[in-house]
Amino acid sequence: MLLDITALPEGQDLSADIVIVGGGAAGITLALDLIDSGLSVLLLESGGAKEEPATQDLYAGTVVDPRLHSPPDRYRQRRFGGTSSIWGGRCMPLDPIDLSSRDYVPGGEWPITRAALDPFYPRANALCEAGEFAYTAEETFGTAARPIVRGFVSSDYSMNRLERFSCPTNFGARYAHKLGASANVRVVIHANLTNIALDEGGRRVTHLDLRSLDGKRITARARHYVLATGGLETARLLLANRDRHPQGIGNDHDVVGRYYMCHLAGVIGNIRFSCASDAVFRGYQISPEGVYCRQRFALQEAAQRRERIGNFIARLHHPHITDPAHRNAVLSLLYLAKPFIPYEYAMRLHGPDAGTARNWLRHLANVVTDPFDAVGFAWHMLRDRKLAERKFPSIIINSKANLYSVDFHAEQFPNASSRVMLDAVPDALGMPRIRIDWRYLPQDVHTVSRALQLLAEDFAASGVGQLQYDPAEVEAEMTRFGAYGGHHIGTARMGSDPRSSVVDADCRVHGLENLFVSGSAVFTTSSQANPTLTVVALALRLAAHLRRIESRS
Amino acid sequence: MSIPTLLLYGANSPLGRRLTQALSPRSSEVRVMAADPLAAGALRAAAHTADAVINAAMGTPADIVRAAERLTEALRGAPVAKRLVQVSSMTVYGDATGLCDVTAPPRGPLGAYAAAHAAAEALLRAFPQTVVLRPGVEYGPDCAAWSGRIARWLQARRVGDLGAAGDGYCNLVFIDDLVRAVLSAAQAPAAGGRIFNVAMRNPPTWNEYLIGFGVALGAVPVRRVTRRRLAIETKLLAPPLKVAELTLGRAALIRQHLPPAIPSSFRRLCSQEIRLVVDDAEAVLGLTWTPLPVGLQAAAAAYGQP
Repeated sequence: MLLDITALPEGQDLSADIVIVGGGAAGITLALDLIDSGLSVLLLESGGAKEEPATQDLYAGTVVDPRLHSPPDRYRQRRFGGTSSIWGGRCMPLDPIDLSSRDYVPGGEWPITRAALDPFYPRANALCEAGEFAYTAEETFGTAARPIVRGFVSSDYSMNRLERFSCPTNFGARYAHKLGASANVRVVIHANLTNIALDEGGRRVTHLDLRSLDGKRITARARHYVLATGGLETARLLLANRDRHPQGIGNDHDVVGRYYMCHLAGVIGNIRFSCASDAVFRGYQISPEGVYCRQRFALQEAAQRRERIGNFIARLHHPHITDPAHRNAVLSLLYLAKPFIPYEYAMRLHGPDAGTARNWLRHLANVVTDPFDAVGFAWHMLRDRKLAERKFPSIIINSKANLYSVDFHAEQFPNASSRVMLDAVPDALGMPRIRIDWRYLPQDVHTVSRALQLLAEDFAASGVGQLQYDPAEVEAEMTRFGAYGGHHIGTARMGSDPRSSVVDADCRVHGLENLFVSGSAVFTTSSQANPTLTVVALALRLAAHLRRIESRS
Repeated sequence: MSIPTLLLYGANSPLGRRLTQALSPRSSEVRVMAADPLAAGALRAAAHTADAVINAAMGTPADIVRAAERLTEALRGAPVAKRLVQVSSMTVYGDATGLCDVTAPPRGPLGAYAAAHAAAEALLRAFPQTVVLRPGVEYGPDCAAWSGRIARWLQARRVGDLGAAGDGYCNLVFIDDLVRAVLSAAQAPAAGGRIFNVAMRNPPTWNEYLIGFGVALGAVPVRRVTRRRLAIETKLLAPPLKVAELTLGRAALIRQHLPPAIPSSFRRLCSQEIRLVVDDAEAVLGLTWTPLPVGLQAAAAAYGQP
């Protein structure tokens, strides 16, 4: 059933077995999995079906160093469907090494292993509409698999691991009909959580206070409560509720909001392949179930352990768009189309740019001199992206000159001084706004530097081409756009020790009997993997846990 | 002891043929007699002497009702213990959603087929030992509607991953599981007078069926069909295709090359969140279900392009 708080009577007291706060990928997954469970479920969402500026403004806040982090109201959406309404759709699971013991990753100890997630990944993959849970080229394509670079041999890098692409599925639009038709799930939109009320001992949540932006107040009570509000908002909500715990809920040991991780990503260098141009394949293959898949260079577990560095993957990338010297009509078309590309994608696509009239004219000249290429690309984008429900995931331009750059995505090590805090300035509902102080460590620079070096050595040793880059520029490149946008990880980390973690292995907040967290906030380490698939898998795991404990009570 | 005799009405229906095939190697255990060609008097005699009567008649709604009427007439005055198996359909639940056991009332107006099945059930339930089977979506070899027709749609990439439009449950029953259900219903002592849903436990969604079948057929990559495209198929293209199919009845060559229409009823079914409760079929009829991958392979072998 779908309800709007504005249609409920003032002071309405809603009750259910389970209350979920936040209707994004995590919250919707939980609710979907609890359909027909025999439990009554209330899913509370701040926004409506579309972006609403006044609601989105509740996400605004400050960042300590704007060069290192995007504004807090970017790369996340406060609406039904949450940030899945704007995500890119890249799916892959965490690697076993991410959840294993690594003495070189201080504070990186998960209380669970990859095996705890394995039973939930296939269904998570299905909910993300990413097809089969098969993440190697052989499993998916058999002998039809096309290697990225024929002839590349490496003991440190694999080339057969896949990333699979969701449509990208907007969980709100895609699954609203299932929640709406459900007899045991009620969704209330425009309901903002303003207070988490605890009992006198501060060990149980007794109810939640909710408000709409136009002043309607309701309460919600349940046996179990789940915060599924994203990596930034979860920390803010825990920190802002101080009635019983002066440091905030679950924060007796000053861990909430700390260990904030994103990913370290960038584009660097030039690879000129000496092999035939058809020996290089950087495009997508479509799996039998119709899912776009792409292979990547992934740093093997043994190499990570030997080098004592974080997880790392790389892909081939087109040359820098902003420089018209590439003389590629499509890249120039993208440059000229910048005003029409959403902020979240334009940032990394284009980067900072002087934007001189002369540059603009040179790009225009590139388009005019090869109009067929540009028109063909525009048609492909219209048909396969704009009008398609399963969208072509990104821009793929094969270089006739056999010249590419390297696009990398690396793990960020846990760091207690990288954190999310409360700001003194309140939002429209009187809640303190968020303040972000994202930081990285010298070890993170080392991860990327060493991993690139290994990749370059293996390219050279294989004789397929040369990766050239300036090692002195690695740190500048990996922070050129700051923390990777949209991946908000670690702010309510999972662990067995309350002094160094916020939730336990079941995602229950330490010291609270009935409050759980769902989402990337609970990740203890960040992996190389984009987080959404694991967010969904963890939500399914939490749903199974809630069913189990509800059946006992 | 004499060999038990089963009188089979509708021996030429796909299910009837499948039943006959299943029983022919066991001719020393059971004797099958086709009832359709019999005149009223002979039918009546056969029905009275057979150990059980199976009604597997399909066809138009009128055919379904007529078969039930003929059998009712033939069985008048038969012994009270006479076992009759009526193969009905899950369509008698109409637009119902959620978990449906056999007591679930129909929801919404019933279509012509559903109404015919409901009427046939009502007629034959007058006999106290009648067993009614309500199969879900029959798939596998000899399943023209839900395997053959869909295979052609998949091969032409006209259906595939339907997104939200394909989230309904596809209550599949593999054709040989249905055959076993019918034979068990004809014999199981505790089955008399009861109604059973017959469909696999934990059915896939329609998307899972369509994608899985597409992959099994090698009709890959399976295509994502947009809501817009499905609407064009079912609302704009289906009516003229159906008219052509009916009016070109005799021009077999043209008809053969006509793409089969995707009716609106298919679109509605694909989003219907109905799940058949099959506990009784498992407990009383002793049924187990062919695993989906096995069933899909068999369906693909029957309907794949050579």
